[in-house]
Order: sequence, then structure tokens, then C-alpha cells
Amino acid sequence: MLLALGGAAGLSAAERAPVPGADFVSVLPSGTQAPAVHVGSFAMDRQPVTNAQYLAFVLEHPQWRRDRIAKLIADGDYLSHWAAADRLGESVQPDQPVTRVSWFAARAYCEAHGGRLPDWQEWELVAAADEQHADARHDPDWQAKILDWYGRPASEPLANVGLGAANYYGIQDLHGLVWEWVEDFNALIVSGDSREQGDPDRLKFCGAGALSLKDRENYAVLMRIAFLSSLEARSTAHSLGFRCASGRDP
Amino acid sequence: MRPSRPVAVGFLAAALAIAAPGGLASEPKTHRHEALAAATAPPGDSLYQLPISLQSADGKTFKITDLRGEPLVITMFYSHCSSVCPLLTAQLQRLIGQLPRAQQQRIHVLMVSFDPTRDTPEALRHFEAEHHIQGANWIVARASVSDVRALAAALGIQYRELPDHTFNHSAIISVTDREGTVRARTSELTGSDEAFVQALRTQIGTTPPRR
Repeated sequence: MLLALGGAAGLSAAERAPVPGADFVSVLPSGTQAPAVHVGSFAMDRQPVTNAQYLAFVLEHPQWRRDRIAKLIADGDYLSHWAAADRLGESVQPDQPVTRVSWFAARAYCEAHGGRLPDWQEWELVAAADEQHADARHDPDWQAKILDWYGRPASEPLANVGLGAANYYGIQDLHGLVWEWVEDFNALIVSGDSREQGDPDRLKFCGAGALSLKDRENYAVLMRIAFLSSLEARSTAHSLGFRCASGRDP
Repeated sequence: MRPSRPVAVGFLAAALAIAAPGGLASEPKTHRHEALAAATAPPGDSLYQLPISLQSADGKTFKITDLRGEPLVITMFYSHCSSVCPLLTAQLQRLIGQLPRAQQQRIHVLMVSFDPTRDTPEALRHFEAEHHIQGANWIVARASVSDVRALAAALGIQYRELPDHTFNHSAIISVTDREGTVRARTSELTGSDEAFVQALRTQIGTTPPRR
């Protein structure tokens, strides 16, 4: 793939797609009467970060090697699928998305590449698009297609990045490849069920209480939220990767 | 203006050089664990792995690592919160209040705001006055948006800003050992939490490790 060949130095601007600002109805409640939230314009990586790209980062910033990482920053499975701390090995493809990276690690990678992790609402906005439409969420065929991924066994080897069709924004692999970290993963406060009454967890939360998710149709996105909200910042997982974003205009 | 913080002077000097030129002269206190804190890297699971910068209610900037050397009781809040946060502050005071007075001085208490925009040092001073928070070892502070996110993540605290600038957040109080490793947490806000207080006593009673 293109990215892996030129990827060692990091993403150039061309590899990050511009996303115009939009008023967007998120599955997260807005907390006001208005159904939509405004997401300012930003840019997002066209593809998830690959093993080759992350290896280049680790070689340049050795404090992120798996044998030097602090326990607070990443759990014991951090990059455990690589053959060595500084080598992918035979069974790991350079163009596969990097996974088994913690939130802290993903964040540091993006910072080193002139970016940041996308916010949840930025990710959700971009992931709502199909190839032709900015918002395909109410298309049952599209819903069925992305749900299909969640039914596949997690033990299958991960495909290389860039094989999924580019969506409306020219961004690939948002669905069907990996879970992705977002900057505000710990803002996704979800209660076990969203009933308002008699919730024993209610007092733990200041303000409006746990999220009462609005759009139960959008099951695939709700699963993303449930998954992300179950993570700690040091967590890593076999199918949890990330991509970066940059810019944030009103 | 409250008395200076018992923090490691090396770090503080660097922070003050940027934030408050001339402020160094008013920082006479050195810390008995200063040499120890500066000498070695913190343990891998220590909060002091995070390079978080803070600004306290008296406007001084410092690094969270400056607090290394004493047990730390830490939570996050925001000052214009009207629902759970007053309970959180009261609970923190109740937990600390269960310790003998002399022991209360042997810990740091750190409350970090979710809201650096509105919780200016002035707003934090107002919060301190309102809640009768005093003592050099009790620090109310703010941090950058990015550092707030990282600190909350490390503490397992969830929070989300709503459009009206209130924050939806979990209320968790943690206690760390002298090296910054979290040893106990509580999200009990109204009743007592004996296990947490016991953990606090244990940390205070622990002899600082020799190196």
C-alpha cells in the first residue's frame, strides 16, 4: 500500500482528508433542546495508522517501545503481537492497522505527527457517510453491511488498511476493520441501561447523569460507544487501533 | 495568598521561571523528600509517569510530579457545579477529617478542575473560600484541556462537557502512596468509607522507602 511505502516519516497533509464543519445529530444526547451539535471543520487520516508507521514512531521515540513502556501508560499486551520491541516479524504485516496500542500511546503518536486523536463526534460524523452520502445512517442496506463486521470472529487476521471503499469524505476503513480510539473515550458515560428511574449509578455522576442513547437503530455505532466506554486509558486489544485528526475550526 | 506549597523546589523553580518571574523568592520551603523525588524515575504504575502541568488557585504553576514524596489524595471537580460536586468536596473534607490533625498535614490533597476556561485562579480562590479549604497541603488547581483529559483517563474518571458548560462526570476520590501509585479509590459520596480511610492511614504510616 501507498501509506506503508512512504509512511515512515509520517502522514503528509494529502493523507489527511478535509472534513467540512456540519450540524450533526449524534447518537449522544446533546443536552439541550436542539437535536444537532455543531462539529467544526477538521482533517482526518484517510486510513488507520499501520504497523509500519507505528514501528517508525517507536524507533524514533524509544520510550514507546513495549519493553520500556510504563504500566500506567499501557497494559502488558501493548504491541505484544510484534516479534520484538523494534521489529514486526514475519506474522505481522506492515500494512495491517496497528493494534494493541493504548490511548496514551495513540495520543502520543498523533502528537508526534502534528495531530491529535479525533473526538468521538468527529469520528461519528465521518463514520456516518457511505460512498455517496454524508449521512447514510438511515439506509438499512448500509446498516446491514457495517453490522456484518461485528458478526465476524475476532480471531481472523486483520486485513491491510486501504482495502475498504473511500467514503464521501475520501476516508477509508471506518467500519469493518478495527475499533478506533477517540480523544474523549472517557466522555462516553453510558449506564448499563438508560432508564432514568432507580438507577443506582446515578449519584456517581454529576450533572445530567449517564447518557440516555437516542438512536437505538444505529446499533453498530452504539456498540462502538459501549466498547470505548469499557476501556481504560492503558487498555490494549487485538482489534483496537486508531487514526489521527488535526485542526479544529468553529 | 496562601503559604507556599511544600513541593520540590527544582521543578517549581523551572515552572516559576516561566509563569511568575520573581516569585521564587517567596518559595523558601524545601521538601524533605526532594532529593529522593528528583533522584529516580517513578514506578511504572505511578501517576507521576504523566507530565501534567497544573496552576493552583494562587496562580502558581507546578508539575504534578512535584507532589511526589507524600501520599496524595486526588479528585476532579469543577467549581460552578451545583449537584454532586459540593457532596464530593464535603466527602473529601470528611475523609481527611477522620485523620488526626498532625496526620492531615502529612498528605497532599489535590482537586483538579475539569474546566480550565471558567476555573481561573480567581474562581478557584473563590471556591476555596466558599468551602473553607485552607492549608498549604490542600491544592485546588486547573490544567490544560489536554492534561485534564489525560489525568482523568489515568484516574478512571469519566467526564463530558455539555453545551451549557456544565460537566457530566464520575466522582472518584483516589489515594496514592508516596510514589504516586493509586492504592485505593472511593466513589462513596455520602456515607463513610472505612476501607478508604484505612488505606489513607496505611499510606501515611508507611515509612518512606530508602534508596
